[in-house]
Amino acid sequence: MDAFHYLLNGFATALQWQNIIFAFVGVLIGTVVGVLPGIGPISGVALLIPVTASLTGGLPPEEAATSAIILLAGVYYGAMYGGSTTSILLNTPGESSSVVTVLDGYPMAKQGRAGVALAIAAIGSFVAGIVSLVGLVFLAEPLSNVALKLSPADEFSLMILGLCALSGLAGKSVTKALIMTVFGLLLATIGMDNVSGVARFTFEMPELYSGLEFLTIAVGVFALGEVFKTILERDANEGEIAKISRILPTKQDLKESAGPIIRGSLVGFFKGIVPGSGATLASFLAYLLEKKISKNPEKFGKGAIAGVAAPESANNAASGGAMIPLLTLGIPGTGTTAVLMGALIMYNVQPGPLLFDEHPTIAWGLIASMFIGNLMLLILNMPLVKVFAKLIETPPKYLIPMIVAISIFGVYAVRVSVFDLVLLLICGVVGYFLAKNDFPMAPLVLGLVLGPMIENNLRRALTTSNGDFSIFIEKPVSLVFLIISVLWITVPLIMKMRGKKVVVNVEG
Amino acid sequence: MSKTFDRYASLLFLVLGAAFLIGSQNISSSAYGSNVGPNIFPMGLGSLLVLLSLRLFYETFKYKQEEKKEGQALDYKRFLIILGAALLYVLLMEEIGYVVSTFLFLLVGFQTMSKGKWLSTLLISGAFSFGIYFLYVNVLDGTLPGLPTWLGF
Repeated sequence: MDAFHYLLNGFATALQWQNIIFAFVGVLIGTVVGVLPGIGPISGVALLIPVTASLTGGLPPEEAATSAIILLAGVYYGAMYGGSTTSILLNTPGESSSVVTVLDGYPMAKQGRAGVALAIAAIGSFVAGIVSLVGLVFLAEPLSNVALKLSPADEFSLMILGLCALSGLAGKSVTKALIMTVFGLLLATIGMDNVSGVARFTFEMPELYSGLEFLTIAVGVFALGEVFKTILERDANEGEIAKISRILPTKQDLKESAGPIIRGSLVGFFKGIVPGSGATLASFLAYLLEKKISKNPEKFGKGAIAGVAAPESANNAASGGAMIPLLTLGIPGTGTTAVLMGALIMYNVQPGPLLFDEHPTIAWGLIASMFIGNLMLLILNMPLVKVFAKLIETPPKYLIPMIVAISIFGVYAVRVSVFDLVLLLICGVVGYFLAKNDFPMAPLVLGLVLGPMIENNLRRALTTSNGDFSIFIEKPVSLVFLIISVLWITVPLIMKMRGKKVVVNVEG
Repeated sequence: MSKTFDRYASLLFLVLGAAFLIGSQNISSSAYGSNVGPNIFPMGLGSLLVLLSLRLFYETFKYKQEEKKEGQALDYKRFLIILGAALLYVLLMEEIGYVVSTFLFLLVGFQTMSKGKWLSTLLISGAFSFGIYFLYVNVLDGTLPGLPTWLGF
């Protein structure tokens, strides 16, 4: 059993003391990020990249990358656990993928069953986390082996597919999403060209020779963008916070939620593997599914436990599922995985088919640490949920300026340049106004991350074909990818034109 | 959807796309060992961006009349104070040092968010700026601009 053997090695890495601490800090901060309103998984991960970079500064490169990605991934799936807390207690989702949880979570809290709802959310998230990890273990090797056989032309088309998948469903307007994608790709061309060493669009400014730093842009548009939104729109949480009494669910509760948890996990996992669909859509679908097959659908919206169990399982399974295309193909399907990919590249680790061959410690160490992290989260979220619930009361007065200060510290610590700090502020302002007007930010960052790779593959493919573009449609695999990309963009458009409602993905 | 914003944005992206398109003409068109140069990718993307912005500009004419939203007005005053403070913060950080600049920024930030509670404002700003500096520079051996020399330390 090959995968099993690798997984054991992964556990050897994940169980090193520093990695246990990194996983713990990651899931702890993730839970906090999920609970605190106004900062979601993307901004949380972006904000922590520079902090982890300085924490792992003393380690050898390979170990530093492993520890950093363990922590950052912990923030990602930890936020999925924490997001349910505000949905249930405050009627406000902590992040977008917990939107559906509000529907039944808050009514449950009003009936005095807030603790049970939180516990079921935690148990569901745990089961989902494990289900998606088992899937990851078994799919990772075969998928990356297939991906290894891809030619540059195929890889180019596959990345185009990844971009189209995220743009086709993101936001309200496909045109705007595509504009952001292309703009992100263009920003990636600034700086020294890797192949020829020619400086492009640098205007003789030394700061631009190494290109725009992904970190600066990501922290700017996500973390600062959200902070500016809170300041401008006075996004303060008002309203009563429900009290938590009994936490342990009864046997009846467990029996009622077992089915929804399993179904939610499977829906979420498969939804997560597909790039561009994300956790929000997964939890939405899982909720609809439960309502459809339930014997008494009229209970939904009035505090049905299945209405909490299914979407919370689905959003966690989706975040686990989204790791598969990221790790095996190098295609991040969600905004947060795009940010994670940028972090890996910062450590000179290229996610994709070669990851499992070249850096097995990182790939399998991460997977094993996710098992451990999920266990930690279950413990954190069951007995300690009352402590985390207190975090909701953090006054924005202190929170907002501190997030600005942390963003500035983080970018300065990594870049040591005032130029990047000014760029950071500009990105924050531009990011806020664009996002407010439905220009999605995830495709921009994805374009920035994938840009150099897409260009390399494009040029490698065109070099072998002597500049003939038909190579992309002559190779069958590449052709298939391109056809799917086109369909991904056009099918929702056609459905919209026919008056059908298209479910729109929210960044997450 | 805001018609005005989208229209200006589409024009801005049009200009940016055109700028990249024109800029890429000045990049050499071939690289050693390959007839595919560093100009192809930005040139293609620039043209794509131009086309997409034209499409968005065209779409704005089809927007339905906007409904005036009955929301609160945006809090520009608070936003501009904090943004201005942040800009001064990043520009002065290397001059007056991390601790002093962070302390001042947080002071302004906290009080702009809501006035009053001076004691906790001073304590939290102080603890944050000293804490981060100490942790990062003394424990993690990182580099941050220290206290300004004219303070005599």
